[in-house]
Amino acid sequence: MDAKQRIQTLLASSVSAERLEAAEQLCQMGQDASFVAAELVAACADDEEDVRASAVGALEELGPPPVSAIDSLIALATSNDPLAAYWAITLLGRAETNASGGAATLVDVLSNSSDGSARQRAAWALGKIGAKDSATIAALQQAAASGDPRLARIAQQSLTQ
Amino acid sequence: MARRKTKSRSKSRSRIPLLLWLFTLFSGGGGVGGYLNPDWPIIGPIVTSLIHWRQENPDVALDGNLIRQAVNDEIHNATNAVVNQIRPNTNPYEQTSYGQNASIQNGQVVPAQYAAARGQNNSSQHSTNRRPIDKLLIATFNIQVFGKSKMAKPEVVDVLAKVVRHFDLVAIQEVRAQDDNILPDFIRAINADGSQYGFIIGPRIGRTSSTEQYVYVFDQTRVEYDPNAVGTMTDPSDMLHREPFVARFRARTGSPQHAFTFWMVNTHTDPDEVPQEVAALADAFEVMQRSRKDEDDVILLGDLNADETQMGRLGTIPAMGWVVRGAMTNTRKNKAYDNILFSTTTTREFTGRWGVFDIEKTFGLTRQQALAVSDHLPVWAEFSVWEAPTANRSVVPR
Repeated sequence: MDAKQRIQTLLASSVSAERLEAAEQLCQMGQDASFVAAELVAACADDEEDVRASAVGALEELGPPPVSAIDSLIALATSNDPLAAYWAITLLGRAETNASGGAATLVDVLSNSSDGSARQRAAWALGKIGAKDSATIAALQQAAASGDPRLARIAQQSLTQ
Repeated sequence: MARRKTKSRSKSRSRIPLLLWLFTLFSGGGGVGGYLNPDWPIIGPIVTSLIHWRQENPDVALDGNLIRQAVNDEIHNATNAVVNQIRPNTNPYEQTSYGQNASIQNGQVVPAQYAAARGQNNSSQHSTNRRPIDKLLIATFNIQVFGKSKMAKPEVVDVLAKVVRHFDLVAIQEVRAQDDNILPDFIRAINADGSQYGFIIGPRIGRTSSTEQYVYVFDQTRVEYDPNAVGTMTDPSDMLHREPFVARFRARTGSPQHAFTFWMVNTHTDPDEVPQEVAALADAFEVMQRSRKDEDDVILLGDLNADETQMGRLGTIPAMGWVVRGAMTNTRKNKAYDNILFSTTTTREFTGRWGVFDIEKTFGLTRQQALAVSDHLPVWAEFSVWEAPTANRSVVPR
């Protein structure tokens, strides 16, 4: 088992100390941790605070996710866990045009999520991935008229990108 | 507190950025078309006053001087409002207030940067004694995911404590813990050698459940803070992921009225919205410059997620300077995320000395050991403990 496989296994462990060890190692890897991009997003819903914190720390430095993680990230974008959903959406945005297949999901989040941060991030991600279909435009236009000034501002920026 | 400030600033020049900041804060992106909206908290009263005045004085010409006076009055009120909008720090862990610190100790004067270069670390000697008595060493340090897990690693805490002891005042980013004992425990570790550091900590902030806290850790024998000037800046238009944590400090000297006083603005930008956040920080900087008539030294520092070429509007503020140029500030030494910024015409207390504190070299760590401490390196700058008069020149080449 190589080092990456070992970390992947630890991150999926039922033992919280092992998940924490993996998350902390990934936190120190910067963009090299992207091989477990989707797993790190899933770890944002971990029961253990320290695992969640390290997962977020790793995700902040991760950069764009690999194309192989896009489908998993699209699925995680509608996670019931707000932190996991937020980070899945963020990584889809960082993937830019590689995540164009996630536009419909992001429109759904933008239009229907009860989490304000997720909606704002979805508006941002739609701009980053450059989605220009009519459903995206309509959702962004509606968001641009939102009473949430940040959402409105981001949506407007995405419309003009 | 009686203190002398010999610096002055053009009033007309000072008001424009404040208005823009307040406009940015409260407008909600309404654009120029909505510029005179009476509902806005700051610009609104100006408009309302003018409307009422006009209704009550229909026969009097509404000339430029009257409008200017109304705007000036409201700007004056707005300046006070900005100060009031800084949320008071109610954290129970505030450790110090004016007058509670020990007196400055005499001792061997060895600038921290020299000690660091030699790898000196005599734990039996108070850290104060290794620093120049007439200078303040101010640092910023993003301690990546600083929480329970990191505090449970003695070798990491040991390095962190040694790092702090090299400086008089450290702005820390990324405290991530629900446990309120993290900072008290860290301060105990720092002070284990007899040092007398204290701290002030901001509230947990962030857009998600994963929040962060800003902290100032400072040598109480070297600096003190004004307990009435500590708080988190407000951001009604939600421009910043984590609003800056500000506090006003003063160097401890034998002549307090001549001591260097300054605002610290601790910040950590969202890596996914760097251009927008750096632009908002330009407004925040200008607001802090104008928040008190007796203070024009503002030191904005932290993890900007931006290098010297990405300063945007922050870098176009007249006379704005930043210390990190041509150096990397992350542990992998391939990014320049962290910096210390100030006006080079007002903050002439800067001595020109700065550095990136290489914890690998200083403490003989491997790259992996250094990464276990943080993915960032501390960045520091040196300032005189004495307030400098303003001169119309820069001390940092731009």
